[in-house]
Amino acid sequence: MSGSTTLLPIAEVAGEMYGESHPGVSILVSGMGSSAGIESVSTGSSDIGTSSRELKEAEYELGLADTPVAYDAIAVIVHPDNPVRELTTLEIRSIFAGVITNWSELGGPDLEIGLVNRDEASGTREAFSKIVMGDARFDLGAVILPGTGQVRAVVSDIPGAVGYISLGFVNDDVRAVAVDGIEPSEAAVVAGDYPIQRVLHFFTHGEVSESTVAYIEYVLSPAVQDSVVRDAGFIPITAKEVHGG
Amino acid sequence: MAEPLETKRAPEAGAARTLKMMSRATYIQEALLKNLFLTCAIAAVAGVALIFFFVGFRGWPVIEDPGLAAFLFGSEWSSTLGKFGIGPLVTGTLVVTIGALVFGAPLAIGTAIFLSEIATPTVRGIVRPAVELLAGVPSVVFGFFGLVIVRPFVAELTGSMGFGPLTASLILAVMIVPTIATLTEDALRSVPPGIREASYAMGATTWQTIYKVLVPAAKIGIFDAIILGMGRAIGETMAVVMVAGNAPQFFEGLGAPIATITSQIVIDMSYASGTHRTALFGLAIILFIISMGLVAIVRALSRLNAKRS
Repeated sequence: MSGSTTLLPIAEVAGEMYGESHPGVSILVSGMGSSAGIESVSTGSSDIGTSSRELKEAEYELGLADTPVAYDAIAVIVHPDNPVRELTTLEIRSIFAGVITNWSELGGPDLEIGLVNRDEASGTREAFSKIVMGDARFDLGAVILPGTGQVRAVVSDIPGAVGYISLGFVNDDVRAVAVDGIEPSEAAVVAGDYPIQRVLHFFTHGEVSESTVAYIEYVLSPAVQDSVVRDAGFIPITAKEVHGG
Repeated sequence: MAEPLETKRAPEAGAARTLKMMSRATYIQEALLKNLFLTCAIAAVAGVALIFFFVGFRGWPVIEDPGLAAFLFGSEWSSTLGKFGIGPLVTGTLVVTIGALVFGAPLAIGTAIFLSEIATPTVRGIVRPAVELLAGVPSVVFGFFGLVIVRPFVAELTGSMGFGPLTASLILAVMIVPTIATLTEDALRSVPPGIREASYAMGATTWQTIYKVLVPAAKIGIFDAIILGMGRAIGETMAVVMVAGNAPQFFEGLGAPIATITSQIVIDMSYASGTHRTALFGLAIILFIISMGLVAIVRALSRLNAKRS
């Protein structure tokens, strides 16, 4: 299997665990990007192509079968004492582009906004950039931290700071703001209401081998969904049933 | 087992043979050890040569893409835009290193003077191991200390988030103290005692002796120490990544995030490919050239020192 680097933590760990319980089956995982994953599964060089984006129109004709495996939702986090509880997507874009620089412009106190960004290797940054930033560029002056835990720790420590992390990693040290009026919650994500989210896919092509089917079923099983998927900060696709979506 | 018998039969010849055999064993031992040490030396040299050629080989293509001028004089480093100009990173390294020396060198030289000229043996017995222990603290611990203790203090001072050159310089200053202090103390101690005694005999006070006689006499050694401390500051990565803010922009203020050559390499290396990867190796070449330059200065200085004394 090959494809999205965002899905690497799931595919790799689940692959290893599957290999341990099924001797003789080895799962090779490579992360080259979603487009490369879709390309390689349609040409048959991979059994599964992983993707953190939907198919483009031109890719509909490839005849790929889609299995959603997890939700990736990103929370915009601020210091718990920050009175700003709600932002629009446009406001968030302006904040991270460095256009809005003071919380007073957003109905908050007269406090400079401290931007905390992720490094360019981050799948979270890539998703945030695509969904929120669009064509806008990140402000170059933002502090760049190479890990979710570091972003959370710094935002929880600095009153004016704002950052973003996977929804699964939000805890009480920080406050996740509502985006476009929607509180970030698993239910909102599953219902498709929360704006900063995407679905992570496994794509297969044509007739698939038994072992491929078995592996996909394994990834969708509670053993993987409730541990590996959650540990990676994603929301299990199975949460849909829980929340009645 | 056969030898004692032989010795009994012909003591003189036996003694000669034993002597001969002993010397052969010694000879072999000597030769083995000589070759062993030679191998060690070759391994060290080969290590440097291998790294040099590997980094050079992988980084060389920056001349073609993104192009030497764009690489050396570019003002933007952004892998998503495909721009690999090292300007902001080199100035970042420069600012952080100079800052580290401004804070660290006086502290270290002061410590060395205290240890060599003022401290009683008991006090020295406490202070010197403490300074040496500082050299053994892992850099990630310095980084963590900087993040949790120094950063909020700098944030208060500069009205920013506290990530930036000031925090990085303060942490690096402490990290280079052992290097500079130890070497400066050596330099001060190697000033012949006669000079010191002559100064005191002329009625000079301790302070006068230190700044009019000892420091000038040891100045090349002290300069040497500062250069080596500088090398340590330029190469330090982990602690800098944790407190510098890692934004590849030009110096915007003491509290504004900044990136250095080493911090950018470590942030980018996990995912870089193609031109980006080449550019990272290009950065490594720049680091190599800087440290070769520093070593050259140190060697030139010690030659100067040898000539003088």
